[in-house]
Amino acid sequence: MSEVSRLAIPARLEEVRQACDFVVEAAEQAGLDERAVYHCQMAVDEALTNIIEHGFAYHDDGSEIEITCQTRQDRFIVTIADASPAFNPLLHEAPNPSEPLDSREPGGWGIYFIRKLMDDVTYERANNRNLLTLVKRIAAARRSAAPGRAEDTYFPARALDAAAAVISPTGRLDSSTSLYLEHVLEVQLASGRTWLYVDMAAVEYIASSGLKVLVAAWRRAREKGGDVVLSGLQPRIVEIFEMVGFDLLFQVFPDLDTALAARPATR
Amino acid sequence: MVMEISTSDMKRVQLFEVIGRVDSTNAAELGSAMDKSVDDGKTNLVLDLGGVEYMSSAGLREMVRVLKRVKRTGGDLRIANPSERVREVLELAGLDSIFEIYPTQVEAVGSF
Repeated sequence: MSEVSRLAIPARLEEVRQACDFVVEAAEQAGLDERAVYHCQMAVDEALTNIIEHGFAYHDDGSEIEITCQTRQDRFIVTIADASPAFNPLLHEAPNPSEPLDSREPGGWGIYFIRKLMDDVTYERANNRNLLTLVKRIAAARRSAAPGRAEDTYFPARALDAAAAVISPTGRLDSSTSLYLEHVLEVQLASGRTWLYVDMAAVEYIASSGLKVLVAAWRRAREKGGDVVLSGLQPRIVEIFEMVGFDLLFQVFPDLDTALAARPATR
Repeated sequence: MVMEISTSDMKRVQLFEVIGRVDSTNAAELGSAMDKSVDDGKTNLVLDLGGVEYMSSAGLREMVRVLKRVKRTGGDLRIANPSERVREVLELAGLDSIFEIYPTQVEAVGSF
């Protein structure tokens, strides 16, 4: 269950690749999907690169960095331990992805990606070592055997006509269920339905992964001349939308009927 | 072979096709390949990432650096054919609003 695999590498950039391969293999064995495996690889790469470029910048004395991987319940956990001077990367200010080109600084993206790509990141200093713990949740998609059925259950989609569809997700849109929503939206877009009416009335929780799926679909729909139109948002969801500025991005209606009535009469 | 870059001199565009893995051990190599063209006055660049299976922030950093450089002289660095994963990373960093990204090499080259 919680078998721990372990690898130590010398603190040199050429060795990072080996650590990436090690983590990829462990993540695949833990049942993470291809995308989650990629995320883990990148987070570990960024973390190790930071440690080597900054922590060991002045003494390349063959110090080692230790990487361990283990699975606990639905979580794949990577720890990275090194003996460079105490440094908590999480205290550093993250760069802003919406910054214009001219003011962009070249560095600082490593930590940003680590936080974005993993579900949980913690730092502690113990026994004169920096210990960074990266956690990736293993998506429900992998643990339950029938993703096809789950799609129908949680994300019913109904075609209105050749150009539009209504999708009615229920429950929680988090990192384990958003994959389904993504898939359902993809299918509609691929079949030429670019007006996607997502009725959110039965959605009680949305995590950043759910937001991301909606934005991705919105982008693609807009590229193809359509739109993603939302309706029936619960107050808590409205709050989250306003927090991240999504209320400015999406057309939002109080309920599905109003949303459909406002559909532009083209074709 | 971890990363391979092939450069083609086209009429109005320098095309860079990258294959393999771009990380902190070789991102500088990618940057300097593009720099060489800019040094020669060729500032319309297309970076075909179709063969890139993995790219870390070190690669993005070089791309942003070169983009800044060519923009100053009226050129551009446009991206073609990124994998779904690389595209996601570009979006996470907000770079999809800074780079013009095309689904195919032909479209990227033709955009100049």
